[in-house]
Amino acid sequence: MLLCDAYLTPKSLDEAFDLIEAHRGRYRLVAGATDLLPWAREGRAGDVHIPVLIDIATIPQLRERTVSEKGVRLGAATPIQRFLDDAALGRAMPAMPRCAVWFADDQLREAATIGGNVVNASPAADGVPPLAAHDAVVELASRKHGRIETRRVPIGDFIIGPGKTALTEDEILVAIECAALQGYGGSFEKVGHRRSLVISTVCLAALVKLDDDGRRFDDVRLCLGGIGPVPDRLRDVEQFLKAGPVDADRLARAAEMPVSLVRSRTRQDYRRDVVRGFMLRGLVNAARRAGAEPDLFSAELEAACA
Amino acid sequence: MPDMRIEAVVNGRKIARSAQPHQRLLDFLRDELQLTGSKDGCGAGECGACSVFVDGVLMKSCMMPVGKAQGASIETVEGLAQKGDLSVLQKAFHKTGASQCGYCIPGMVMAATAALRANPFADREEIKERLGGNICRCTGYQKIFDAVELARDVQNGRLPATALAEADVSEGKFIGANVRRIDAPSKVSGALRYAGDMTMPHMLHMQVLRSPHAHALIESIDTSEAEAMEGVEGVITCADVPGEDGFGVFVHDQPVMARGKVRYVGEAVAAVAAEDLVTARRALAKIKVAYKPLSAVFDPFEAMKSGAPVIHDYAPDNVTKHIPIRKGDVEKGFAQSDLVVEQDYETQAIEHAYLEPEAGLGYVDHDGVVTIVSPSQNITHHRHMLAKIIAKPISKVRFIMSPVGGGFGGKEDMIYQGMLALMAMKTRRPVRLVFTREESIATTAKRHPSRTTLRMGLTRDGRIQAVAFKMVCDGGAYGLSTEGVMRKAAILGAGPYNIPNLQMDTYGVYTNNTPSGAFRSFGALQTQFATESHLDICAERLGLDPFEIRRINAMRDGAQTHTKQTLKSVSYLRVLEAAEKASRWEKGAPTSRGDSRSDLGGEGVRASCSLGARFSADVTREAAE
Repeated sequence: MLLCDAYLTPKSLDEAFDLIEAHRGRYRLVAGATDLLPWAREGRAGDVHIPVLIDIATIPQLRERTVSEKGVRLGAATPIQRFLDDAALGRAMPAMPRCAVWFADDQLREAATIGGNVVNASPAADGVPPLAAHDAVVELASRKHGRIETRRVPIGDFIIGPGKTALTEDEILVAIECAALQGYGGSFEKVGHRRSLVISTVCLAALVKLDDDGRRFDDVRLCLGGIGPVPDRLRDVEQFLKAGPVDADRLARAAEMPVSLVRSRTRQDYRRDVVRGFMLRGLVNAARRAGAEPDLFSAELEAACA
Repeated sequence: MPDMRIEAVVNGRKIARSAQPHQRLLDFLRDELQLTGSKDGCGAGECGACSVFVDGVLMKSCMMPVGKAQGASIETVEGLAQKGDLSVLQKAFHKTGASQCGYCIPGMVMAATAALRANPFADREEIKERLGGNICRCTGYQKIFDAVELARDVQNGRLPATALAEADVSEGKFIGANVRRIDAPSKVSGALRYAGDMTMPHMLHMQVLRSPHAHALIESIDTSEAEAMEGVEGVITCADVPGEDGFGVFVHDQPVMARGKVRYVGEAVAAVAAEDLVTARRALAKIKVAYKPLSAVFDPFEAMKSGAPVIHDYAPDNVTKHIPIRKGDVEKGFAQSDLVVEQDYETQAIEHAYLEPEAGLGYVDHDGVVTIVSPSQNITHHRHMLAKIIAKPISKVRFIMSPVGGGFGGKEDMIYQGMLALMAMKTRRPVRLVFTREESIATTAKRHPSRTTLRMGLTRDGRIQAVAFKMVCDGGAYGLSTEGVMRKAAILGAGPYNIPNLQMDTYGVYTNNTPSGAFRSFGALQTQFATESHLDICAERLGLDPFEIRRINAMRDGAQTHTKQTLKSVSYLRVLEAAEKASRWEKGAPTSRGDSRSDLGGEGVRASCSLGARFSADVTREAAE
């Protein structure tokens, strides 16, 4: 059971820092609360008493989002569900709607925030691999001597281990920025214990852009989650895939490349098999959605990836 | 810190109430507003029994701190039925029989309402996807999806409103007819109150201190600090039992609370009743129990070995029950066989996972009658046991069965009603106990894990000549229904087959695991898994069709079982025929299959789980636009 003496809902970033300063050392920030509440139960943290909870999810700056040709800026408290119901956002981040549909369920997606998913830094976090594939940058705010300062950190440097981030004390993740990748095909492959409401055992975010002939990858971005302490962006595989025409042999060799990265604490053999399959399926699905020529993949491969 | 003041609109009415800052929206709705249609099934966002609309968006109210609802407009299941008339969806749930135990149904109705608000034309796949956050344990979901599709079609005018009306049932012809459940309206509307929804004036909240050890002596229990706390009205241990302490379905080997030693992790040791839940939980932490750990045993085969730790003094060999049945001469039967196959089979513990965690209310009425309201599946037996435990005449003990939010055998055991009675007697106040989901899973009975060695001898024509069947089950720390499960397993385990020579042995064994107990099919599941798997293996070895080997050995009308019961009519052959037809079975031995199979896909076979139905719906809609 989660116990607190006060539940505070600041209406601005300044007000949030006022509360942080007033309750330093005895507060915790809350956004969607969908991770905090299940954590404070028997079998995990048990009964937890946090004197002050500061809910930052309604700060307008953290709810804002802008989507343009140039890029995407997401307030940290953007609910995951927006990736499903904001069509412009979905087009700019083509793997994200596919990720979101596998993320918890419709109800929790309305509460859970993208910023919360990032700061939790779970190795199995669903939202992080697509962000990493977008080369996302997180914006962190702190207040020193009465002035709010921000710094920007690439997501790959921000998440440093299971549950560990580069966030310093009294700092707030306020926004996430990334490139808009309209015209890319996106896919998100995930396996967990149940269709809804589970974190990933393994997940893969794939984003691809095809050349005008629809037969070569102009760009490929791949990121695996759930196989190690932090998500793995597969830059060498991406280079290999861009180096020549898309054919069955290249795909098969690419699918094999990240298998050796599996270093999870449990079920490594299973995860290796999944990685191999997901690489093929993720690439085929993403390429198809990017407008691949219908004959690019054999019927057999298409069927296997359906 | 003072309480918060929450102002909101709930089901169209303005409300302003004080709330404690740690409360979840679910607690606020249930405890402050008495809107108990929203249920607490898991408290972890997994089950959806608590789904409500917040500013028009469906949310899980167990995952929402009440502070987030400040100024919001909230719609609960109670708000759906305007002026007492059920909504179209609620009527559809009633019509299709979508509610069984009913505990998940308010949340399910809310999720279905949200799905059709999001897409009034959602197809079945999209409906499934949008209901993905809500769990039902009883129905298998099909009737729920039927209800949503029916409501969709009525709302869209594709079906007339009369489609929701009760079908005519001609006199006496109820089998196969759509007969509506009379309790469904109370379930689809959220009006039905389960034990955890009930309150009484001046009621106390009880919490239970549980053992962290699998096997340990209790050297002392010091409750003084807990008892001295403000708001604590009573603390009980086994010392408060006035009568003969012990309950169980067959052997009364389990004390109401641990007496002298604990035998499994999660066993009740003491209980606290306080003015509120938080105080009761804080008081638990103040109870000091000194344990002296004993060596524990977690495997039934280890437990049966000599020198194993003894769990109950009355059973020095740790065997709760051994059921031996003998028919004919198995050695002779094996000697006559052309093929003898021996194989081991194993099944695991299974949790019943009803959506309603255990809950109960206890009070002593004006006539001194100790009364327990709980979803007990066996109130008469409980009443007799409790009378002995509290040393009162049977006329002074009353059990009221509250609606059971799913049982499946898991609510047959009197594991908490005794504590409620003792606490109500001690405090002279009504007492309520509601289990958390974790507590329910950790402490209540499971399906018996089993290990079976099956030896079967057959002649070349597929006729069974002999069966030697030995199953050892992990009964856990207490007897509960173990004896009955072992009996049923020994009676039913060999299947509906004529077996001339048969040796059945089933053993229920004490270990320091969570107790095993009643679960649907009562020992048949474990044994049938072994017997039916074994027949498939034998069919393969003999080159026979698996249906054929069963037909050859099937009991027919007038057959006599190994327990000497004559069966007037045996429907097994008809069942086999139906199964063969429905599965589109290709005749032949299991080894005869080629590359292509006609039994895969098609009607009755579902595709693997996928998500994204709404993407294809979007494409369809965009194309239409």
